[in-house]
Amino acid sequence: MNNDLYQKLVDLYAGHELSDELEQELETAAADDANLAFEMTSLRGTVDALQSDPGPKFTEESYQRILMKLYARGAAIQPKAPAPAHLQYHLPIMG
Amino acid sequence: MRPSFPMPNDALSDSLAEKRWLTALSEGDPNALGGIYELYGERIFRYTFRMLGNRTDAEDATAETFLRVVRRSAELRADGAFRTWLFRIARNLCIDKLRQHKLMELPPDAQYSGAEERTTLRVTVHQALNDLPLEYREPLVYCDLEEMSAKEAADILNISVPALKSRLYRGRRALRDKLGSAMERTP
Repeated sequence: MNNDLYQKLVDLYAGHELSDELEQELETAAADDANLAFEMTSLRGTVDALQSDPGPKFTEESYQRILMKLYARGAAIQPKAPAPAHLQYHLPIMG
Repeated sequence: MRPSFPMPNDALSDSLAEKRWLTALSEGDPNALGGIYELYGERIFRYTFRMLGNRTDAEDATAETFLRVVRRSAELRADGAFRTWLFRIARNLCIDKLRQHKLMELPPDAQYSGAEERTTLRVTVHQALNDLPLEYREPLVYCDLEEMSAKEAADILNISVPALKSRLYRGRRALRDKLGSAMERTP
């Protein structure tokens, strides 16, 4: 197999885009080829690290600040008023 | 924890909600913008944060994106291309901000938020991603982080799918190389 084809297969392997059969064939080939094995594991590790990134949190504060910015710029949108304190907590039932 | 991939029913309900809010917007319904913001606010915020590297600029860009939706609502068509159009608006705003403030030369927020996210690997991935040229960073953000299809990402970037894939694969290699050297420097 030539290098270009290997490179394409490794790219597809890294992104989990190969069929199970082809993936196994490539892993078998990598058992005798340290460079290929490195390419496969390091690239797949990079993709997996990216895909497991939880990303920035869209916090309640950010949500409200964006609403305020829209409202301040005249958009027809209402910032949500915080829930009244007496609705935020459930009191234990007495008796 | 990364949100789970939407199930077909979620995608269908989002699509129906999108259609409903776009129709409402075209009819001048005052609740429409709020509905569209509820539907896409978080995704646009995450995307702009990843592009710009800090929360304040991401909040500004997100608000501006939705303002432009209202201003350009005459161009809207509820034909499934709305999301692509929305991301294009957000992308153009991010590129303008990067150019205006030369944010690429400033240190981005190294951490997102929340103690559990402050692991070395995640911070390193985030930093390495920010160090990549935009040409490589964008396909990684769309395809690997935002889980968009190659077709949708290519549409947003206005390039062909093979060109997108070529940039994506080169971007992954460039990120791998950056992560490799960063890991070697980390004690």
